[in-house]
Amino acid sequence: MKAEVSQPIRSTSLRRRGVAVGGRRVWSCQAGDRPRSRSQASGSGSATPASGAARRVLVVDDERAIRLLCRVNLAASGMEVIEAADGRAGLELARKERPDLVLLDVMMPDVDGWTVARELAEGMETRDIPVVFLTARADTADKRLGEQLGGVGYLVKPFDPVSIGDYVEDVLSRIERGEREQLRREISSGRER
Amino acid sequence: MAVTPEQVLDAILTEGVRAAEARAGSIGVVSEDGERIELLAQIGYRPEVMEDWQEFRVDAPTPMSDVIRTGEPIFISSVQERNRLYPSLAQVGQEDGHALVVVPLAVEGRVFGAISLSFDHDIEFEPERREMKIALARQAAQAITRSRLYAAEQAMRERMTFLAEASQLLASSLDYNRTLRRLAQLCVPRLADWCAIDMVDEDGGIERLAVAHEDPEKVKWAYELQERYPPDPDAQRGVPQVLRSGEPDFLPTIPEQLLEDAIGDDHELRRIVDELGLKSSIAVPLIARGRTLGALSLIAAERHPVFTAADLELAIELGRRAAVAVDNARLYREAERGANAARALAYVADGVVLLDRDGTVRHWNPAAAAITGVSEDDALGRPVAEVVPAWDSLTTHVQLLAPGSAPRPVTVPIVVGGHERWVAVSGVKFGGGTVYALQDVTEERALEKTRSDFVATASHELRTPLAAVYGAVRTLRRDDVQLSESDKAQFLEMIESEATRLAKIVDQILVAGQLDAGAVELELTECNPAEVAAGVIESAATHVPESISLSLDAREPPQIACDPNKLRQVLVNLVDNAVKYSPDGGAVVLRVRGDNGSCRIDVLDEGLGIPSGEQSRIFEKFYRLDPQQTHGVGGSGLGLYICKELVERMDGRLTVESEPGKGSRFSVVLPVRA
Repeated sequence: MKAEVSQPIRSTSLRRRGVAVGGRRVWSCQAGDRPRSRSQASGSGSATPASGAARRVLVVDDERAIRLLCRVNLAASGMEVIEAADGRAGLELARKERPDLVLLDVMMPDVDGWTVARELAEGMETRDIPVVFLTARADTADKRLGEQLGGVGYLVKPFDPVSIGDYVEDVLSRIERGEREQLRREISSGRER
Repeated sequence: MAVTPEQVLDAILTEGVRAAEARAGSIGVVSEDGERIELLAQIGYRPEVMEDWQEFRVDAPTPMSDVIRTGEPIFISSVQERNRLYPSLAQVGQEDGHALVVVPLAVEGRVFGAISLSFDHDIEFEPERREMKIALARQAAQAITRSRLYAAEQAMRERMTFLAEASQLLASSLDYNRTLRRLAQLCVPRLADWCAIDMVDEDGGIERLAVAHEDPEKVKWAYELQERYPPDPDAQRGVPQVLRSGEPDFLPTIPEQLLEDAIGDDHELRRIVDELGLKSSIAVPLIARGRTLGALSLIAAERHPVFTAADLELAIELGRRAAVAVDNARLYREAERGANAARALAYVADGVVLLDRDGTVRHWNPAAAAITGVSEDDALGRPVAEVVPAWDSLTTHVQLLAPGSAPRPVTVPIVVGGHERWVAVSGVKFGGGTVYALQDVTEERALEKTRSDFVATASHELRTPLAAVYGAVRTLRRDDVQLSESDKAQFLEMIESEATRLAKIVDQILVAGQLDAGAVELELTECNPAEVAAGVIESAATHVPESISLSLDAREPPQIACDPNKLRQVLVNLVDNAVKYSPDGGAVVLRVRGDNGSCRIDVLDEGLGIPSGEQSRIFEKFYRLDPQQTHGVGGSGLGLYICKELVERMDGRLTVESEPGKGSRFSVVLPVRA
């Protein structure tokens, strides 16, 4: 499909490819990949070293309890967790830290999760960061919005924090396998996680 | 005292016979059809002689026939001469036969009869004598004509009187069934011995509406007869034929054969027919605006003379007038029904739209106009697709039902004047077209949406604390990870606080639900608002952060009538809110004042404030300052709604004033004790 051919290779998958090649940061590039994307990725000083790097997950949620749950359980899966207590801080951290994935709450004061997702998708540096919504909003319309905003996952509270690490790992590996679009479509297709 | 033509004839004849010194005499008159001569008066003849001569043809070979045909008198001097001139009469009155005179009765040159005089001796008629007889006849003719004219006039007047009476009766009531029954009564015995009225019913059947006879017993009997011998609707005579053809059926003399055919071998029927003694019948249609509504039948039987053309004419006129009356009554009733229906539909809240088979609008009530935004004037008589362009999409999914089925409305949105309205549409198809009922359910839908929003929002509100509790328990029970002591403590604390929050939300949902259902009971007693306020400050002080200053400012407020527990609940909520939105170093003040016959309790803060556009909405259920409900401060979204509802139930008011960036003031105003 044309849409898939023209889909740029995401920074995450580029990084993974780099790992596969060896100890050095080697970037491969496929047809349709946008040069800008590559230059930004390679030019970024905060890129995670490929070898043995832990997954870095940004948790954006105004509820301290949810952040704590994510931090403890993601850490148990060997992931590195960075936290933001509101949307604005989340955006800043995402731009600065370039995490491998964002777990994003929706209902937050001031800047909400939808806004964060939209701005991440619009930002050249952040557009490739996969966003998984983690929210109390369970309506179909909300899920559809999540899909439209480019989310790759949609978790409804209450969720099982014990399996959150496996979930994140699964999402990331599927994205590396080029299933990002499919993940996105699964949000509103009714397939529950 | 009126003299009948018969009496006049008798008198003329008697006088003529006496004056002429004749032995006998007779007067014959031409029948209406001009073909026969009827002897209307006679004197002096032996009955057996005249038996066969009551009526004979105008062209019969008799002196009277000749006189009437030629207009010339005949003078015969002897029976020999008569027999010579009229051989066929040779055997008649031979022994009495002598001289005979027959002179014509004429008026204005038209011969209508003749007078004959028989003498007891032979006479050679001298010219003078002849002149005398002719003069006598002339006088007689004039007298007869006068009396006939008078009689005719009399009959005419009677008919006019009857018609006038009938018209008055017909106009007296709109209950035409009753009127027609009375009309039948009016006809007997003046017009006939029997009168019957049959109407065509809605299915085209014949319904006998009335039978009248002077004798009620006979009427009963007639109905029984009809039961036993129901009329054949396909009969070629009588009422069925009249109803089919719209033409009168007139039998001046009911032919024997007709009765014989009808009777057949039925002895019982023969007995009845014999007893009835039917002589003559008229059946006329009741026709109005080209439609045959029924028939009026008249029968001459035991008393009434046979019907004449004048009777037929009268019956036709009567039928016409009755038909017009029935038609008018029906039209009136229909119009009235239509007007009543329109009046009812004018006040019905549902839109009612009637379309004919072509889809043209035939009725468009005010509610339909309001719902669609198209006035009745703009809709009537036009194709509905032109009137409401969205009509097709409005009714596509409406299943048209047969009359009498339970409606199955389909709710669809339409845009009227830029506003979306939700309309429940149902339709019934009937012979004449389709009738649609439109119900504006916009408000119901909004209410329904509010309700479902409430449920959705309530579930959102519950999900976050639930996620925390569930997640904490799941995490604590992980055996593949060693949690630090501080993490464990945090999770336990999380379980406790989030469970408390859950309980609070559930509580408020319950209270809000009870308030909505009007199920919250308040105990209004006299209380001191300053005391309540002091209690609120005291308990709030235990958990307010040190960075925020909390104070009470109460100056001898008046006693008020309220439910102290509910007032406390309201103030706790307002103070909690004020604290929650206060910046570090901010002050929250609870101020109690008497104010013009009421008591005013203000909660003031120096927080973010509320944009003026939002101030009126913050008391709505689940309303958050940010429409995306992004406040994660742990409220239920119901606090202010509950506060306002409680205050209003204590006959008070809860208002807010706020300047964004500077702070807010929530004011509870309660009435002082009466």
